[in-house]
Amino acid sequence: MTRQEILDELKKVIAPYTTNKEMLAGIDDHTDLIKDLKINSANLVDVIIDAEAKYDIEIDYDSADKMVNVGTCIDVISEKLNQKV
Amino acid sequence: MMSAGNDIVSLNAINAARTKQYKFYSKILSESENPLYKEFSSAGIPFENFVWLLWSIKESAYKYLQRNNPDVIFTPVKFVVKQLQLPANYIITNFDSQQIEENGFNTILAIAGIVTYGQYTFHSRSLLYNNLIHSVVNNSENFQDNYWGIKLIADNDSEHQSKEVRSFLLERLQRLFKTNDFSISKSQSGLPILLKGTDETTLPVSLTHHEHFVAYSFHTTINI
Repeated sequence: MTRQEILDELKKVIAPYTTNKEMLAGIDDHTDLIKDLKINSANLVDVIIDAEAKYDIEIDYDSADKMVNVGTCIDVISEKLNQKV
Repeated sequence: MMSAGNDIVSLNAINAARTKQYKFYSKILSESENPLYKEFSSAGIPFENFVWLLWSIKESAYKYLQRNNPDVIFTPVKFVVKQLQLPANYIITNFDSQQIEENGFNTILAIAGIVTYGQYTFHSRSLLYNNLIHSVVNNSENFQDNYWGIKLIADNDSEHQSKEVRSFLLERLQRLFKTNDFSISKSQSGLPILLKGTDETTLPVSLTHHEHFVAYSFHTTINI
């Protein structure tokens, strides 16, 4: 999957947890999940679990730690997808 | 160095079925914490509420730690709750007041806990209602200088939550210090900073919101 393809899917993963739909439509690597998308921290575990299900990957604690903005989310998902091949 | 950390969870907003799934709660609880549920189970407290209780303690400890250690990342399983003491005959009710504000926990029964992160140890006090959990963390067992408040708000959009929690905290500070030139700013790492006029104060404040609830905590040794 290209970064763009991961980004398109990631938007669907994040959508239920943000009310900032306008910001979601225009997210880029620097968009912060909490500060910009206003995702409540109580939903961060949901985002990780939904991403695991969506891409059929497992995200360990250390990788989850890195998932603070859209760019690092794509990095982690991309890395885990590559490990599957 | 003094700090502050509090966290609120609206139990109406959590997904109970999902929280009970291993793949979900294992990202919050570590193995050593599972036995702590025994006492809560006997008291009829659902497992999902126990999971979110631990979450709120851990997130509060993270906020407390982050003020002086901005590089710390919130990994729930790395914050380990070592002890949790449910008061005997703890009665769980609905939070149905508009708001409550206190300092310490002498007038209100709370769940006392100890949570660690690496070499750091913190004490926690949590209030468990049917509809919310609120935790406050401190570096000592004496919570008398920990001021906190919980408020029910009408609108749950993020802009409204942010505005409400700030004015709720500022009103308390204004009453306490008898001044109205306080305001809240944010540090580079996103932590709330209390300003007096344009000057940064050293008084640590912590803000939290979830759905229709907002809460604050701060630490001060002012004599009133």
